[in-house]
Amino acid sequence: MVLTHTTNHSYTHPFPTVTLAFFLRYYSPQLNPFSAHVLSTDTIDSHVDPETGRLHTTRIHLKKSRMPSAIIKLLPASVTGGAGEKSSYVLENSIVDIKEGWMKTESRNLNFTGVLSVTESQHYSATPPDQADSSNLSSAVARPMSANTWVSTTFSYRSSLGSRKTDKAAANEENSRGRFGWISGWGAKRIQSSIESIASNKTDDQIIKSRDGMKMVLERLRSNGVVAVLRELNRREGKSVFEA
Amino acid sequence: MSASLAPECNEVKERYDTCFLKWYSEKYLRGNGKTDDNECASMFKEYQKCLQVALKDRKIDKLLDEAREDSKDYDTIHLKRK
Repeated sequence: MVLTHTTNHSYTHPFPTVTLAFFLRYYSPQLNPFSAHVLSTDTIDSHVDPETGRLHTTRIHLKKSRMPSAIIKLLPASVTGGAGEKSSYVLENSIVDIKEGWMKTESRNLNFTGVLSVTESQHYSATPPDQADSSNLSSAVARPMSANTWVSTTFSYRSSLGSRKTDKAAANEENSRGRFGWISGWGAKRIQSSIESIASNKTDDQIIKSRDGMKMVLERLRSNGVVAVLRELNRREGKSVFEA
Repeated sequence: MSASLAPECNEVKERYDTCFLKWYSEKYLRGNGKTDDNECASMFKEYQKCLQVALKDRKIDKLLDEAREDSKDYDTIHLKRK
């Protein structure tokens, strides 16, 4: 089973600035106080497709576990890795098309996937959703950049706890068959859907925080521009940047 | 400044990040982004040299492979149902 949750939002900032804020949103808690749970951010791929001119970026973020404590309590320590292991790796793929004015992103957890896979997909656009079709037709024609950016966010939750595939993966990984034996015999489906719905219920709060974080980054960019913002952050950390 | 998952890569990562953000905001967003001749390419190489070792040490490379497999499976199921 997969549970999904979609919301729409618009930022009162032009599309290019919003994409920049997306790349900067975990840059520093001074820039985005809602990013304090992000421990590290690394880029593993970044290239411009020579044919389309689209920028493809892949990053890995390490975050303090966002898995709700209600789920952690449902599971034995052998699954969650005990109380100590509370960070999760998140893989983020993004594609920016600056000419057509859209960005697609997808983020998913890399560990704990035997318990719960969460995927966040976002579609940012310089055109409002109801005009998207007509704008595609005229995408070759330069048009004035809108002052707003529209974004649609879809979270999907999938728990495969106790499923055969997970058991096999776990057995290979840990060489301890029957690691999920406690659950597969009874009501695995029920537990899976509880996990999906608990996680989904936490989403609204998470969406608001990440939106607020984006807005703070956007405001800083609006008043200063990126070079000034970075210079200020680095000055506070006692470093110089953009100097020869 | 956001950290690298591998502290030993922080310095090269920071140099690359700064370069990337400058290139992105001043060139790419203005329609002047080119593929391989961008000024950050050599910094990216240095950064990856450091990072790839760290990903292997922490077994994150395996997690990445699994994620690629998993999304293939997911797509297959997803397409079948359609």
